[in-house]
Amino acid sequence: MYRWVDHTAEVELEIEAPGEREVFEEAVRALAELLGVGGHGDERRPVAADATDRPALLAAWIEEIAFLAESEGFVATRVIDMDLGAGDLRATVAGVLGEPPPLVKAVTYHRLEFAPRGEGYRARVILDV
Amino acid sequence: MYETRRIDDELWELPVGTVPGMRAPARVFADAELLAAIEQDRSLEQLANVATLPGILDAALAMPDIHQGYGFPVGGVAATDASDGVISPGGVGYDINCGVRLLALPLGYDELLGDRRERLVHEMSRNVPVGTGGRGAREGIRGANLDRVLSLGPRALLEDLGIGSEAELAFTESGGCLEGADPAAVSARARERGAGQIGTLGSGNHFLELQRVEAVYEADAAEAFGLRLGQLTVLIHSGSRGLGHQVCTDFVKRMDARLAHYGIELPDRQLSCAPVESPEGRDYRRAMEAAANFAWASRAAIAHRVRQAIASVLGPGTAERTRQVYDVAHNVAKLERHEGRMVCVHRKGATRAFPPDHPEIPSEYAAVGQPVFVPGSMGTASYVLAGRPGAMARSFGTTCHGAGRRMSRTAVRKAVDGRELRRKLEASGIVVRAPSARGLAEEAPEAYKDVDRVVGIVERAGLAARVVRLRPVGVVKG
Repeated sequence: MYRWVDHTAEVELEIEAPGEREVFEEAVRALAELLGVGGHGDERRPVAADATDRPALLAAWIEEIAFLAESEGFVATRVIDMDLGAGDLRATVAGVLGEPPPLVKAVTYHRLEFAPRGEGYRARVILDV
Repeated sequence: MYETRRIDDELWELPVGTVPGMRAPARVFADAELLAAIEQDRSLEQLANVATLPGILDAALAMPDIHQGYGFPVGGVAATDASDGVISPGGVGYDINCGVRLLALPLGYDELLGDRRERLVHEMSRNVPVGTGGRGAREGIRGANLDRVLSLGPRALLEDLGIGSEAELAFTESGGCLEGADPAAVSARARERGAGQIGTLGSGNHFLELQRVEAVYEADAAEAFGLRLGQLTVLIHSGSRGLGHQVCTDFVKRMDARLAHYGIELPDRQLSCAPVESPEGRDYRRAMEAAANFAWASRAAIAHRVRQAIASVLGPGTAERTRQVYDVAHNVAKLERHEGRMVCVHRKGATRAFPPDHPEIPSEYAAVGQPVFVPGSMGTASYVLAGRPGAMARSFGTTCHGAGRRMSRTAVRKAVDGRELRRKLEASGIVVRAPSARGLAEEAPEAYKDVDRVVGIVERAGLAARVVRLRPVGVVKG
């Protein structure tokens, strides 16, 4: 589950999910909604990201997904497979090609979170849009 | 809500201890009414967090247009000791060298007869690509050599493409070139994002504005700046586009990963930093300065395109006699000498405001001080200020940069209908060109604080003096 929260000059993405992998999957769905893309596509792209910890890895993941949209017009809508390590991840995502608005200017570390909560995980990422 | 202590009529302080780890107090230039508005978001907490940075000098400072940003508030000034302090990409912001350039036309508003005002605004909107996608992302100046732009700024466009002039370079902060810039420090992704964007406006609060001088406060300074009552001006607000955003992104991540190595603990990871003289600090300065040069070149290219619009509508002679008053950055970090020591001054949403006789301002302005441009909102007014000695004494040579946002984009979209706003602006004599009603609504006057009040505070605080007030008569929104 994800939701977008608005602030003065930014948007905040909050994610709650039962597992770590699902947090990354929810982020893909949230980005697709932000970019105005629904449904599924058959285009596939490999995505790799690395970072020092889980919150930074989530930021790096979203940055890669946003960069694919800006540079190739490819909007990821779902994760096909993912190998999630301690400080890196390798994944294949599927989605659609188009002309999405390059809304995401940057993925910030401001109030960045990714931590266990209750039975699952809670994450927060603030985007410069 | 934090406890603020009134120091004088225009300065308030959050003492050390307001948040854990503060190494200096945090101070805000404001009056009681603006302070109440500032307290509506998290900007004071962010300012107090800035005061935890290693090597911070005097205080974490905020201008009256402060509002919530990422890690650092927008409208913040943080000066750190260059020998043992840190440099922080978040203290510059994502849009490195976002800034403002003012052009003065050799015409008065009364001379803009018939439909020429509407045609001029229309031509400016045709010539300068706006927005983040489509033309706005791809139709940069052709033939620009990115490495030379990153190294030399607008001088590369002048030497390679004949864009701009020596006079324009002279009337640009730092001559439009920070000499420590190193293109090799800029990542491949940053280059890819910025390559096609030199001379494009961008989106958000970026704009071109056609204005008339509606009030003169300091005749000597106005004369030195070449401004007179009724004169037409064009204000350009833009930055380093995707390239700058990526440079900031790259170095926030890189420095965040080295915080433990340097023994730095921060209340917010967006304050990520490294010692000024560390490998990370030096590389960031090289890349940030290259992005700053890119932004100055981009504003020079936009000005070139505006001149083409002026030539098309008002004739080539008018375009040739249109002169650049100045170009000033409001998102940058610079090494400067203050009170005998080298200081790394981070200005994020804040403008350098050097006083008369400072060696770094053009000799033509030496008697009156450095020009500072303070855009208000598109329905109100903007100001030209001049730097004053108080800025050196109180704010590391810095003043405000705008009116300051007070409403979120969503909140203002809910409160304002973009089409109705366009009708209102046009009914009040402002020609509007905007790619979307939604984007127009986000920049409605209601979204911003009162620019007259903001400017009044920095003037009473002795940071800068009002020179002229500019009234918009045409807006091209990014």
